Amino acid sequence: MKGLLPRLIKRILGGIVMILVVASFTFFLIHLIPGNPVEAKLMQLETAGVTPLRAQIEVQAMYGFLPHQPLDIQYIHYIWQILHLNLGQSITYAGVSVTHLLLEAMPWTVITVTSGIIVSFVVGILTGVIIAVYRDRGISNALTLFSTFLHGIPQLILALLLAFLFTTIWPIFPFGSPYDAVLTPGFTLPFIGSLIWHAVLPVAAYAISSYGGWALTMKSSVISVLGDDFILASELRGLKPRIRIGYIARNAILPLFTTLTLSIGFMFGGSVFIEEIFDYRGLGYMLITAVGNLDYPLMAGSFLIITVAVIVANIIADFVYTAIDPRIRT
Amino acid sequence: MSAKLTDRSQQDFGLSPEVACQVRDLNVTYRVDGRELSALREVSLDIRQGQITAVIGESGSGKSTLALALMNAVSSPGRIASGRVTYRGLGEVTGMRGEELRRIRGKAISMVFQASQNSMNPLTRIGAQLLDLARSHDLPNPRAVLREAGDLASRMSLDADRVLTSYQHQLSGGMRQRVGIIFGLVLKPEILLMDEPTTALDVLSQSSVLEIVRSIQRERQLTTVLITHDMGVVAELADRVVVLYAGRVVEEASTAELLRHPRHPYTRSLIQAIPRLTGDPGDAKALEGQPPSLASVPNQGCVFRERCPYRMDVCETILPSFRFDGDGEHRFACHYEEARHD
Repeated sequence: MKGLLPRLIKRILGGIVMILVVASFTFFLIHLIPGNPVEAKLMQLETAGVTPLRAQIEVQAMYGFLPHQPLDIQYIHYIWQILHLNLGQSITYAGVSVTHLLLEAMPWTVITVTSGIIVSFVVGILTGVIIAVYRDRGISNALTLFSTFLHGIPQLILALLLAFLFTTIWPIFPFGSPYDAVLTPGFTLPFIGSLIWHAVLPVAAYAISSYGGWALTMKSSVISVLGDDFILASELRGLKPRIRIGYIARNAILPLFTTLTLSIGFMFGGSVFIEEIFDYRGLGYMLITAVGNLDYPLMAGSFLIITVAVIVANIIADFVYTAIDPRIRT
Repeated sequence: MSAKLTDRSQQDFGLSPEVACQVRDLNVTYRVDGRELSALREVSLDIRQGQITAVIGESGSGKSTLALALMNAVSSPGRIASGRVTYRGLGEVTGMRGEELRRIRGKAISMVFQASQNSMNPLTRIGAQLLDLARSHDLPNPRAVLREAGDLASRMSLDADRVLTSYQHQLSGGMRQRVGIIFGLVLKPEILLMDEPTTALDVLSQSSVLEIVRSIQRERQLTTVLITHDMGVVAELADRVVVLYAGRVVEEASTAELLRHPRHPYTRSLIQAIPRLTGDPGDAKALEGQPPSLASVPNQGCVFRERCPYRMDVCETILPSFRFDGDGEHRFACHYEEARHD
């Protein structure tokens, strides 16, 4: 309990170090790519008739560093720009800053990924409890089979299947961008409605692909907790069923939080496929676009922002875990 | 509802005045690989009001199963195949189910568990769990339970405030065992079942905890069933002893009588197996052989004959019936002893 603030500060500092490590990694990755995209861009501008000085200024604006400076100076310059939240300019969307592009795309991915995780976690856990509690009955076997089946389908295939079924065969749900283009973003009913309508398929893809895993993990967790001495004791002490279910649920959900933490990173990784398939303009979509167009600033920026999201999510998950498990606190 | 309950508490359900709980022809079986194996066979007992009755036996003798059966809590794959357990003022628990049974468990009949140190929810403070217990039994003033628990904790030389605000993992094994005993006593039950209550304690805290249990039992005239494998604990604590072997009662008497004049060869070897504090530890004799497993208990004849030094032909085929001795207060089931005294 005590020392929560120092712990938080420690975790945040650790997170910042991690972010800088990833940023450094992407910096050197760009330098390792054969053909050096920065040099190539400089050459391209110069052959297009831009004066060398002008070309240098443009390239610096784009990448945050100049290719002719020594590597360490370039590196320091790059990190310095990141610390000022300046991620350079996009090549695909010429003249638009990467920070701006990513900030536009980020909410959609965060909303869909988070909703997907919450829906699959809640539904999966409830299914797991039902499977465990009624494990002598037919319903339990049916649910286990169903969950195992869903767990076995790769996310990519599932997303393709959903897109095919619900936007082509039965076009019930819209395809593409996070909301209807005619609407202006804001807290208006049509806008939020449109947002939800567009998010249904991506969220369903995230949720269905991870639901089976939660159900099966929760099932075994509940069964193991049901065999614990204190659960038998609570029955023989005549505790009310409501209170006993609370005891079982809290103890069974606990080990799943570790998996939840890991799944956050996995889900953000999955957004690359899912947003591409549904043409949903979020971070994953940005990353694919950047890769396709050799847009290195946008690529580096996307990597960085996904890293930040995963690290922040992990810190939050870690603190939630601390709040629900007293054994971690002492 | 409450009128019906009050009526019940006045009823004796056909039990004679000194008996708090009557067990009749209790058979408990476990289903293993499609076979029904008996864990308890034709167990009949009278548990006396206000006394400590010890049930002693080796592991596998069915003593923990008996404790569960006394609360009608034998769970799958086991079941109470036949027989009755009837309590004064409560009725026949073997016929109760669901909510009726839940209200009795932990309130009128409470149990201290063998693995008491693991009997608490690891995620909730001890005090909060005591409140859960109080609320589950609809006590008008749940806070009073905390006060009672605090008093009990102090008596067991625990720091009451610290224990109530602690989580299980913050307490030592011995402290948790004592907390388990507090859970058993805090709602002032009429019957206390204790299944190996002191196994996790070292010898010194064992005797101090037993002393406290004994003094609380005397104060409240608490009917207690003590399940144990330790003849030393029995000698220190119990008023009466029931000896269980392979799911059958083989001897029953008052503690003094049993220790002085054990009749069944199994009881004698249990007494001989107690190491003395003074003298040669080599004088303590362990009983040779292993008790039969559920599957290997003989279906006819005496259950103890495989390890019995006085084995006779009749022991192979005929189950010894009970012989009564000393005003009918002492009973045993042994062909050899019967023959010797006739």
